[in-house]
Amino acid sequence: MAEKLLEVRSLTTGFAAGQGLVKAAEGVTISIDRGQTICLVGESGSGKSVTSLSIMRLVEFAGGMISEGSIRLGGEELTTKSQKEMSRIRGNKMAMIFQEPMSALNPVFSVGEQIAESIRLHQRTNAAEARRRAVDMLRLVGIPDPHIRAKQYPHELSGGMCQRVVIAIALACSPDLLIADEPTTALDVTVQAQILDLLRSLQRDLGMSILLITHDMGVAAQMADRIAVMYAGVIVEDGPAQDLFEHPAHPYTMGLLRSVPSMDGEREESLYTIPGTVPSLHQLPQGCRFHPRCQSAMARCAVESPPLEGVGPDHKTACWLYDNSAGSKEVLSK
Amino acid sequence: MTEYLIRRLVQSAVVMFLITVLTFGLIHSAPGGPTKVFLSPGLSQQAAKVQAEHLGLDRPIPEQYLKWVGGLLRGDLGYTFKNHLPVGDILWPTVGHTMVLMGAAWLLSLLIAIPWGVYNSTKEYGWSDQTASFISYIGFAMPTFWFGILLQELFALKLDWLPLSDMWSLDKEGQIGDLLLHLVLPVSVLTLGFLAGYVKYARTSMLEVLQQDYIRTARAKGIHEVRVVYRHGLRNALIPIITIIGLDLPILVGGATLTENVFNWPGMGRLFVEMALAREYSVLMAITLVTAFMVILGNLIADLLYALVDPRVQLGRKGGSTA
Ligand SMILES: Nc1ncnc2c1ncn2[C@@H]1O[C@H](COP(=O)(O)OP(=O)(O)OP(=O)(O)O)[C@@H](O)[C@H]1O
Ligand SMILES: [Mg+2]
Repeated sequence: MAEKLLEVRSLTTGFAAGQGLVKAAEGVTISIDRGQTICLVGESGSGKSVTSLSIMRLVEFAGGMISEGSIRLGGEELTTKSQKEMSRIRGNKMAMIFQEPMSALNPVFSVGEQIAESIRLHQRTNAAEARRRAVDMLRLVGIPDPHIRAKQYPHELSGGMCQRVVIAIALACSPDLLIADEPTTALDVTVQAQILDLLRSLQRDLGMSILLITHDMGVAAQMADRIAVMYAGVIVEDGPAQDLFEHPAHPYTMGLLRSVPSMDGEREESLYTIPGTVPSLHQLPQGCRFHPRCQSAMARCAVESPPLEGVGPDHKTACWLYDNSAGSKEVLSK
Repeated sequence: MTEYLIRRLVQSAVVMFLITVLTFGLIHSAPGGPTKVFLSPGLSQQAAKVQAEHLGLDRPIPEQYLKWVGGLLRGDLGYTFKNHLPVGDILWPTVGHTMVLMGAAWLLSLLIAIPWGVYNSTKEYGWSDQTASFISYIGFAMPTFWFGILLQELFALKLDWLPLSDMWSLDKEGQIGDLLLHLVLPVSVLTLGFLAGYVKYARTSMLEVLQQDYIRTARAKGIHEVRVVYRHGLRNALIPIITIIGLDLPILVGGATLTENVFNWPGMGRLFVEMALAREYSVLMAITLVTAFMVILGNLIADLLYALVDPRVQLGRKGGSTA
């Protein structure tokens, strides 16, 4: 049985709004085994970034606040740590890469300096050694002429190159966990594929776990061991990737899957989109947050919100369709 | 980098040339121009002609201009009309005196304003931030000369801690300690004026930088917040600050006039007022030129500093440099 690296339990993160707290992530529970890749998917605004920034404890810098729950990395509780203690973990045991590679790098420092800084910060090395290892990292992430590139500035590099540098910074201290928040969304399709390949091969070589955030089910299919589906701040389904693709349980997941262009299907078929839009956090619907857009909605869905419960081995969903106590196990397929 | 430098130098030279033409042209097209003004009133027709010839005022305008510019290039700024003294002998010492005063005030304001503004950006609307806003209001609202007189009244006349005016005491000319004592009051007046704006620039610029993605990356690397702000943030925040400071130079040179007059500081500002009253056109032209030159030099220095802190400028791509 694989060892759990990250365990997030009932995580709730909100932003101050007026007198109250607007909860952008509520009761989020996910866990990642060592060496595993888990994809967090969902439409824009569903709280994926907020969840990942919470795990890094970076959400506080964006004005957010973790109000409930626990985050354990390798058994260590993170929610109770001070920012000073967190700075010893960030970039060291867990690291994060972001969507916009060009703006993620500091324009006034050379890329070599930016990698070396991370190394010097967390490991006892002198400047020359850190520089040498920065060049090694550039080589590792597949940048040609790493000696020359190390001295260059971000504006001298392409978007794909910048993302490789960002990855090099993140992996410089061999973290156990890499959080990648839509790392390829801003890149060309061919570059996208290269970056995903790179992440996969680095994972194989370095043995880290990856939490990959994407709203692209195609990317998830390619990368994920597990998939967690998020909607309006809550996890609605979580299961092994293959199982989830073959037997999606939540109507929202089914909708997401139907909106992916199939590889072998007819080109003529117009792409499905889930009707309606993600609700605003200020006026979430009563009961299940998805019910106004759900084609299988029942009377009860508008009243009570469903708990996340098992529908298969290691596969959970939050949907009243699978509620045993009510006796209605009928699945409405469209 | 070298190419950039050369381009900027050429640009500066062109601007400087245009300024000499403008200065010369303006004074010579003014009603009553130099001919009327320079000649002593009540001269006979004959005597006036001799004097005009002597001063070269009878030559065609372009020729006068060339002669004047030729002189400038040799460091010859011309002569005063009244006592026929070399303009340079009068002007250069005052330029030095002004630079001492302005340099001290300016350096002091930057040394205070940048760290203060940066600190305030990390503690928005805290007591330090509020204090800075309050001081800004005073700095903007209070007339320089009035504040200067207030300080003189209190620290020189009432308390007798500091000298009332001038650059040196009569018997102590050239002594640094004495100069520093004389600097305290005028520098305080000027610093208050600069500080108001600069703290705000530093704060605003830093606030914007702290929103950037690369700051988040720095935090994600595990860099401690102080280092995030002062290493990753400040280098970037300085870029727009330097630009604004470069653009500010004309205000700085002009801004010293009142202060210099209040404190009887023997600088360019005081000289300008004196010479304007005496209608010494050649001195006024020289002051205008020196001021313009300092402004251009200031912008050039700002641009070079800019290139030093912002690697993107080296390719001559200045666009989007605050992004
Ligand atoms: N700094 C903030 N202040 C207030 N609300 C915020 C802040 N950051 C995020 N939110 C809110 O939290 C919700 C979730 O945002 P989040 O960025 O996590 O979505 P996401 O799933 O990452 O979407 P995307 O695919 O567009 O990146 C949004 O409704 C957003 O308005
Ligand atoms: Mg996001």
